[in-house]
Amino acid sequence: MARWGMVIDLDKCDGCQACVVACRVENNVPVVGPEQTEMGRAISWIEVLSVIEGEYPHVKIRFIPRPCMHCDRPPCTAVCPTGATYKNDEGLVAQIYPRCIGCRYCTNACPYTVKFFNWFKPEWPPQVHGFNPDVAIRPVGVVEKCTFCHHRLQKAKEQAKIEKRELREEDYVPACVQTCPTKAMYFGDLDDPESTVSRLSRSTRAFRLLEELGTEPKVYYLSEGEWYGGHKG
Amino acid sequence: MDLDRRDFLKVSTAACAGLGLSGCVLKKLIESEEAEAPWPPGPESWVASVCQQCPGGCGIQVRVIDGTAVKIDGLPFHPVNRGRLCAVGQAGLQVLYDPDRIKGPMRRMGGRGSSNWQSLSWDEAIRLVAEKLAEIRRRDESHTVAILAGQPRGLMDRLLARFLDAYGSPNYIRNSCDGTAKAVLLTQGIDTLVGYDLEHSNFILSFGYSLVEAGWSPVLAHRIYGYLRQERPGVKAKIVQVEPRLSMTGARSDQWIPITPGTDGALALGLAYVIVREGLYDKRFVEEQTFGFEDWQDGSGASHLGFKSLLLKAYQLEEVSTITGVPVETIIRLAKEFAREKPAVALAERGASMHTNGLYTRMAIHCLNALVGSINVPGGVVLSEEVPLTPWPPVEGDALGLKGRLMPRIDHAGTSRFPIASHVFSQVPRSILRQDPYPINVLFLYYTNPIHSAPDAMGFAKAFEKVPFIVSFSPFMDESAQQADLILPDHTYLERWQDDPVNPMMKYPVLGIRRPVVKPSYDTRNTGDVIIGIAKAIGGKVAAAFAWDDFEGILKDAAKGIFHAGGTLFTAPFEEAQVKSLEERGWRPPRYKSFDEFWDQLVERGGWWDPAYQFVGGRRLFKTVSGKFEFYSQHLRRTLERVAAGKPVSELLRELKVTAREDQAYLPHYEPARFIGEAKDYPFYLNTFKSATYAGSRGASQPHLQEISRLPIGLPWDSWVEINPQAAKGLGIADGDWVWVESPLGKLKTRARLYPGAMPDVVNMPVGQGHKAYGRWAKGRGENPNRILGEERDSLAGFTAWYATRVKLSKA
Amino acid sequence: MGDIRDSHESDLALFQPILQTGRWFTITAGALGAVVAWAIFAWLYQLTHGLGVTGLNRPIYWGLYITNFVFFIGISHAGTLISAILRLCQAEWRRAITRSAEVITVLVLFFGVGNVVLDLGRPDRALYVLWYGNPRSPLLWDVTSIATYLTASTIYLYLPLIPDIALLRDRVPKWRGLYRLLALGWTGSERQHRRLETAISIMAVIVIPIAVSVHTVVSWVFAMTIQPMWHSTIFGPYFVVGAIFSGIAALIIAMAIIRRAYHLEDYLKPVHFNNLGLLLLVMSLLWFYFTFAEHLTTYYGGEPREMAVFSAKLFGKYAPFFWAMVVTNFVVPLVILSNRRTRTVAGTVVASASVTVGMWLERLTIVVPSLANPRLPYARGLYMPTWVEWSMMAGFFSMFILLYMCFTKLFPIVSIWEIREGREKGLAETRERIESYLPPGEGVSRE
Repeated sequence: MARWGMVIDLDKCDGCQACVVACRVENNVPVVGPEQTEMGRAISWIEVLSVIEGEYPHVKIRFIPRPCMHCDRPPCTAVCPTGATYKNDEGLVAQIYPRCIGCRYCTNACPYTVKFFNWFKPEWPPQVHGFNPDVAIRPVGVVEKCTFCHHRLQKAKEQAKIEKRELREEDYVPACVQTCPTKAMYFGDLDDPESTVSRLSRSTRAFRLLEELGTEPKVYYLSEGEWYGGHKG
Repeated sequence: MDLDRRDFLKVSTAACAGLGLSGCVLKKLIESEEAEAPWPPGPESWVASVCQQCPGGCGIQVRVIDGTAVKIDGLPFHPVNRGRLCAVGQAGLQVLYDPDRIKGPMRRMGGRGSSNWQSLSWDEAIRLVAEKLAEIRRRDESHTVAILAGQPRGLMDRLLARFLDAYGSPNYIRNSCDGTAKAVLLTQGIDTLVGYDLEHSNFILSFGYSLVEAGWSPVLAHRIYGYLRQERPGVKAKIVQVEPRLSMTGARSDQWIPITPGTDGALALGLAYVIVREGLYDKRFVEEQTFGFEDWQDGSGASHLGFKSLLLKAYQLEEVSTITGVPVETIIRLAKEFAREKPAVALAERGASMHTNGLYTRMAIHCLNALVGSINVPGGVVLSEEVPLTPWPPVEGDALGLKGRLMPRIDHAGTSRFPIASHVFSQVPRSILRQDPYPINVLFLYYTNPIHSAPDAMGFAKAFEKVPFIVSFSPFMDESAQQADLILPDHTYLERWQDDPVNPMMKYPVLGIRRPVVKPSYDTRNTGDVIIGIAKAIGGKVAAAFAWDDFEGILKDAAKGIFHAGGTLFTAPFEEAQVKSLEERGWRPPRYKSFDEFWDQLVERGGWWDPAYQFVGGRRLFKTVSGKFEFYSQHLRRTLERVAAGKPVSELLRELKVTAREDQAYLPHYEPARFIGEAKDYPFYLNTFKSATYAGSRGASQPHLQEISRLPIGLPWDSWVEINPQAAKGLGIADGDWVWVESPLGKLKTRARLYPGAMPDVVNMPVGQGHKAYGRWAKGRGENPNRILGEERDSLAGFTAWYATRVKLSKA
Repeated sequence: MGDIRDSHESDLALFQPILQTGRWFTITAGALGAVVAWAIFAWLYQLTHGLGVTGLNRPIYWGLYITNFVFFIGISHAGTLISAILRLCQAEWRRAITRSAEVITVLVLFFGVGNVVLDLGRPDRALYVLWYGNPRSPLLWDVTSIATYLTASTIYLYLPLIPDIALLRDRVPKWRGLYRLLALGWTGSERQHRRLETAISIMAVIVIPIAVSVHTVVSWVFAMTIQPMWHSTIFGPYFVVGAIFSGIAALIIAMAIIRRAYHLEDYLKPVHFNNLGLLLLVMSLLWFYFTFAEHLTTYYGGEPREMAVFSAKLFGKYAPFFWAMVVTNFVVPLVILSNRRTRTVAGTVVASASVTVGMWLERLTIVVPSLANPRLPYARGLYMPTWVEWSMMAGFFSMFILLYMCFTKLFPIVSIWEIREGREKGLAETRERIESYLPPGEGVSRE
């Protein structure tokens, strides 16, 4: 069984946010509007954060795209009282919307703050029809988060089965990785020593966010410099 | 290869079955009993087309299910974006499915700006326009019809121009920001945008070029950026960004050099000074392929000033440093790096040059490329071939048409007012208001919304009141469409046929084919078809100029040219290399039996390109009087002498507010920029900028783009003003405070963000917000800084001086 | 055991609230009812619109509701735990106060649970916790221990009520059917008494570990996560101490009101307040010790993420709440209660009111600042509760008071039979017990 993981090269990322919008469209992520956004209730399964350091004129800005880390030891799944969030057979941290009671314990237990809540009945931009039929539309009051576009894995598996072949690594790519214009994002099987992600995850530039917490995130970052919040620096 | 293509462009029936099956599995797995099922998945396909959220021309493939578009992704084989797509491109469905689109042709009842609209049929609408135009023509006033065009891609540009040519008006006025083209015109004799072979550059010196934000082709720039940062074997390219605001490009560069607004030309000349004085310039190139470097004598024996002498005389570093605010050591270091890290390339864009001294600034920056020999070499300035479309027959035209066509333009481009300009968009309101040189009776608005997006937006609003009949082709009820008398809504880009050649940045000619990915949602019509319809309704020679039935016909006809020219359809990199090597050996393998087969393949694959580039043949690049790169622009000299029409050129220069005289005026030099507002009353320069996630002023209608973070420090769904923290402290302004930003033209209220990437005497505001119309998502969000910008422009080329306004701040 | 009929006249004051209802009672009940009705409206509003009507956001996912949950569960320790300890210690002065304490527990537990349900995004799915329960989740432990505690303390309230209900059944003309049902055929026989005493003793023993477990588990909801300043080993005892602390305070206030409203000055005497005041003082010191230990450890360690929360609490946005908490939980009770002259009825009530506010602030400053300063410093939120949340909070407090008042109308708020038992047997027993502590000597007779 593959261990799906992501590598994000921060040296290549220029903060364009293509991943953010690609994710929103792919996953039917609702628009919450200006007032709710101001309150901090916007939903962004992947988010590009900026870190501004230094003072004029010696200013450094770095960008860090942050999806769900899909931890191998996720702090969020343990605390869920109903098992609505759990680590599935593929090793991905999944969310069963119909089982979520909306207690938001998982959102608080996640040290990466990557889980989101539907405060109101979700509204979508006026794509009267333009939903992705592969992704469930979430009801009000449940927690949602990045799935690594798990539905694409399902489809890829079905496709492979129809074509009577093994699933290839390139068959399954999340929407953010697919669109990344700087090719700063990589996706694949971390257990396959030959795969790009596996090779990059062993790079000297590699680190993971809050690695010291022992959550074993499956998202690796690459950076030559120091990185605040990660192992580097 | 075939297999790959099938993978990407068509999903087999088996896949459809798979989709159904996996849909069921998913439904079981994650769908809740009360979650609304989106809709049962139907037949699915991926359709290739071209994005038009910006001028980048990226190929897209749209996932269409049951006739509904559900996702846009990059077209894998398009040479610009290679399967990648930016945030704005990703949000494109929200243009298509905007609930506030105009649903069909509409005529305004009641006074200007009233919102009493009445629907009418396309036949009626076209007849109405045709009758109006025919009547004006009968009055011998055909020249009083003008078209303002914002983003006419591909043949639309030629079609609109041709229409006015046939009809009899010179007033096809584009809102062009192709400023570098004019610098290339002065030095290389060609009026076109050049490309930059950045992938092979070792040193990129960008003067305000927002490469990864709102440059010519963001995705291409992103790709190159990623490649240069971690993928290129060997030397890692160094990127230096010179600009007053630390932009995203600046943030990800190796170095940010803050510079006093409007002084980029001085810095470029300061760098040139170091390069020349230290003898670091490419001596062979300068000797063999340039003109006007050394002092020279003309045919009459009169001696003239050369670039070298000018530099050594007038651009001492202390002085340059004082003007620009850049330390002397930095200039020296930068100059040495630029000259030594070959190939190096200097770029200029909006940021550096949208000042009153813009043309000379661009010229100075472009000359840096020549100094280090970076013209037509790998990693330097390149020039792609034209896309070999079938040429159009010339417009025959009737006497009326010919007469009207030869009338002076209302924007005075190419006259003694703006000698080097082709289009002076910002002159339009003043000309209309003053009836200078004559009144305008009919105005067509194509892909432009000047009442919001032009500086002096108020001027446009006033001017529109003076025009008796305004026709807008906008699919959206924007501020300018609101003032129209008739709206003939275009399709959105996902519903129409159009060609999209990629001019700037690329080394190669690329032609993307934009095709309808879904049926039009409403009763809208391709403006190309409408123009042809109007021409045919007018009849006579005007109609005869358009031999085609519709715009699709034009496109098909034009494609015959590329069918015969060689090159290749969009294919995988592997195939590209093959074609390239064949062509370099003179082979042009015909791959298609018939044009129809070629056309079908062209549409299915999304476009055509010719990946071979010739670095030899300098003549192609230098069409100047001397046949060389001209530091001393003989083109400029001849043009000025021509438009001066007998009076001394020095007098013309005085009228144009150019301070330089004699030879210096034809050489790249620093002209101090003019600003609106005195420094003592208005202590800050106002620097407006475009954000990467915004698609100019059009993105505001797309909620996905509104809601994501405004990096690095902006506010979603809002606008803001960036202030240097020290400067803000002095004014008692804290982060998040409401502040007044006031220029001599007016004031606006917005929120302050303290940003260390702002210079102490420059404040920055994003453009794109502050709509008063344009649908529910855009209206009433934030403020529009264009509202308080003054009307200034470059004297020679007519570039809009976006950054010529000064402001003061106060806590609200 | 004497004859109840004969002696009941002497305890008439205890029957009075049940027999007569004053004008003030009706007015107060009406006012509280109005607040409750308003809260129900707010609740319906929240149900129809979703949790968006609160001031919660990302990352401050928990706010007033969870604060109130922890606070109410804390208060619940008033009762059962204190009364059980006093009973087991055979503290004779307990007799007048156990009932009022036990009632607080039972009622307030419902409100604690109610606040959690209120905080759910999908209250309609609340029972999924039982169907799909994940044993690894501290929330499930919470559900288990609170349910157990609720059951145990209800029994523990009910058992000592039986003789009094029988008394009412025989004496009071109202609610006969109810009293008959609840009296379970109590006749007051020696055998029944013996059995009752045994049952009460067993329950008193059982209820103490359960009560301790309840607030320990509540603390673990926070401490089991790895969030800064939640992930603390002392949270269990810290929460239990805080719970008893706030419980005593609530009890003192309740007693003072009952004393005043029903003229029970003869039953609830200054000595009760004095004794409880001393207990409160002890708890205040203990609480301070824990708070000090917790914050000093954090500060000394200086781990940046912990320090972010620490600074926000002590010097940042939450500093006013934090320091108000220190004053109300420590300074005020210390000053009032350590001085015998101020340890009066009024004095203890002031100290208790202060502690009640302080402990609520403590819960708030534990819940919110950690969420507002997550480990990755990018998501930052500001939390300001909305009218819905304040309404619900007011509603819960009003509902609690209202139900408490109703209880006093149905049952004697001071245990009549225990008072009598004390009069009749307590004296002798106590004397005997005290004598058993002492070495034989002059004046002490051993029989």
